[in-house]
Amino acid sequence: MEQRASRSRASSSRLNSAAAALAAGVGLLLARDSRPAQAPPSPPPTIVIGGEVDRFAIPDCIPRKGDEASREVCRTVTQVLRADQQFEGLFRFVPQSLMSAIPPMDPEAPNFTDWKGIGATVLVVSRAQVTGGEATVELRVHSVATGQSMLSKRYTGRDDNPRIFAHQASDDLMTLANYRGVARTKIAFVSDRDAVPGRRTKEIYVIDYDGYNPRRVTVNRSLNILPNWSPDGRSLAYVSYRRGNPDIFVASIYEGRSADLTSDKGGAAFAPSFSPDGKRIAYASSRQGNMDIWVANADGSSPRRLTSTGALDTAPTWSPTGQEIAFTSDRSGTPQIYVMDTEGLNVRRVTTVGNWNDAPAWNPSKQFSEIAYTARLESGGFDIAVVDIATRQVRQLTQGRGSCEYPSWAPSGRHLTFACGRGGKWQIAVADRLGRTITMLPAGPGKNEQPDWGP
Amino acid sequence: MTCRLTRACVILAVVACLAAGCGGKKRPPAVSTAPPTSEPSGRTPPTEVPPAGEPGPDVRSLGAETARGEDFTPSNAETGEGGPLEDIHFEYDSANLTDQARTMLEKHALWFQSHRAAKAMVEGHCDERGTVEYNLALGEKRARAARDYLVSLGVASDRLRTVSYGKERPLDAGNNEAAWAANRRAHFAVSR
Repeated sequence: MEQRASRSRASSSRLNSAAAALAAGVGLLLARDSRPAQAPPSPPPTIVIGGEVDRFAIPDCIPRKGDEASREVCRTVTQVLRADQQFEGLFRFVPQSLMSAIPPMDPEAPNFTDWKGIGATVLVVSRAQVTGGEATVELRVHSVATGQSMLSKRYTGRDDNPRIFAHQASDDLMTLANYRGVARTKIAFVSDRDAVPGRRTKEIYVIDYDGYNPRRVTVNRSLNILPNWSPDGRSLAYVSYRRGNPDIFVASIYEGRSADLTSDKGGAAFAPSFSPDGKRIAYASSRQGNMDIWVANADGSSPRRLTSTGALDTAPTWSPTGQEIAFTSDRSGTPQIYVMDTEGLNVRRVTTVGNWNDAPAWNPSKQFSEIAYTARLESGGFDIAVVDIATRQVRQLTQGRGSCEYPSWAPSGRHLTFACGRGGKWQIAVADRLGRTITMLPAGPGKNEQPDWGP
Repeated sequence: MTCRLTRACVILAVVACLAAGCGGKKRPPAVSTAPPTSEPSGRTPPTEVPPAGEPGPDVRSLGAETARGEDFTPSNAETGEGGPLEDIHFEYDSANLTDQARTMLEKHALWFQSHRAAKAMVEGHCDERGTVEYNLALGEKRARAARDYLVSLGVASDRLRTVSYGKERPLDAGNNEAAWAANRRAHFAVSR
C-alpha cells in the first residue's frame, strides 16, 4: 500500500514538473515538447514486480486509425519503448520472434492464454492515433496470469516528437517495479560543433539520454565547459570564459537567462557541482591564490573555503546525503580522490590504486556507496573506474577505447555517462553501472565531451 | 623620454599627413594639432570619436597609439594568439619553471622594461592527457609560476594577469609527444 502511494506521488510530481517546464514556453533553449497528460483516474497497479521473474511482452503498438501519421507515431512508440526498456535492463523480455508466432491481438481484449503460451507474465499494450497534429498514445499493462490491469495511461501532445510518449511510457513501466526510469532524463555536454572559426569556442548542449533531440544552451561564442545539472533539472551550472577568466555561471535553461556567480571575486573558478538539495554549489577556485574547494549558496553568496593544504584541490562531487564531498587533490604528489565532510574536516583518501585518479562522481543512489572516476592505468591512457567507498575495491569500466574520462551518473545511479576519445575525436558514451554494455551516443557533429547526466 | 616623444611627433605628423592627404583639404584642428603625450587617454573630447562601425581613417587613434612610443605588434586582440613574446614550456604534469623557461622569462622581463605600455595575460596551457578539471588547475599553476617569476624580476604585477585554459585550447591538435610538449606552455597574450 505504502509503495503504491509513493509511486503515484512520484509519478504525479514528475508530470507536474514536466507540465511546468512546458508552461514556461518554448524559451530560448528547448524546443517545444509534446505535452504528456495523465489519463483520467486509472486502476492502481495491484502487483509489485520483482524484476527477475517477470517476462515482459512489448508487442507492436496498434494504431487506432489507419492514416500514415497514426501509424508513424505507433512505429516510433514501439521502437523507442523497446529501446528504453532494453537500456534500463531491469526486466526480461519475450523475443519478438515468439510474439510474431501468435495470432494478432485484439488490443481491447487480449487473449492471455496466447501470451502465457509464449512465456509472457506481463503484457504491455500500446495504441496511438493522430488527429489534427495532436497525438494520443495509450499504454495498458496487464498481468498475464490474472488478466488484471496493472497500469493504464493516456498521453497526449503534439505529434512532432513522438519519442517523448515512449519515454514517458517507459518511465511509467519502471514505476511498477518502484524504480526511477532514465527515459526522460537529459545529458548536458560540451561541443565545438558551432565553434567560431579561428577562435576555438565551445558551447553547451543538451540531448535526451539516448542521444536524440540535441539543443544548444549557451550562445555566447566563448569557451563554455564543465556543465552540471541542478537537481530539479531546470538549471545548468557551467564554466564560461565570456568575461576572460574561467568563472561559474548558472543558466536557467527554460527561461534562457544566466547568472554570474564568481567573476567579481577574482581568480579562476570552475568545476561547479550542485548539492543534492540544489541549495549549494561546490567548486574549485583560486581566488585566494591556491586552487581549493569552495562551497557557496546556489546564487554564489556566502562562499566558504573548505581546503587549505597548498595542493591543487579540484573537481568536487557531493555524496547522496549532501553531508560529504569527494574531490581530487595532488597533496600526496599525484592526483587522488579524497572525501571530506562539508566543513572540510574528516578528510580521507579513497583511491589507493594507480598514480592518477581524478574527476570523481559520487553515485547519487544511496543504494550504491561508490564513486566513479577517471583513472590512468598502465597503458598510459585514461579509463573509467569505480571505487567502492567502504571496501576500496576498484572495478574498471572501460578498456581499449582510447581515453575515457569525465564520468557522471544518471539520477537513478544505475547508469553513467562519460566521454571517450582517440586523437582529438571525442564522443559521449553511456553504460550500465557495471560497464557490461557501453553505447556511443549519436550526439551530433564535432568533438563532444564532458557529459553531465541530469534529471 | 624626449627622444621617444620626438620620434612620436614625427610619426604622428607623417601618419596624419598620409591620412589627410597632405596638402589637400584643411585638416580638423583637433586632429592635426593635438600634442602627442605619453598619456593620451582622456585628452581628446569624446565627440571626436567616429561613430562605431563607420569606416574611414581614424587619425586620432593612430596618433595616440604612436605617441605611446610602442613599437611592437600585440597579440591578436580576440584570440590572444601570437604576439612579441615567445611561449615558455613545461615538463609533463609540472608547473615548475625549467632553466630554459627562466632564461626566457628573464628576456621577457627586460622586454617589459623597455615596453612600458605593454600588458600581458599570461595563459597557462596543458597537453590533452589528464582530466579537464585537473588540467585547468595545472594551467592556472603554470600561468601563476610564469607571472610570479616575471614579478620577481621587476615587472609590475598590475601589468600581468593570468588565465588557465587547461587542455581546452591546444596549440597542436596532435596526439603525440611532440604535440604534447608544444601544448605544455605559458603563452603571453600581449596588449597595449
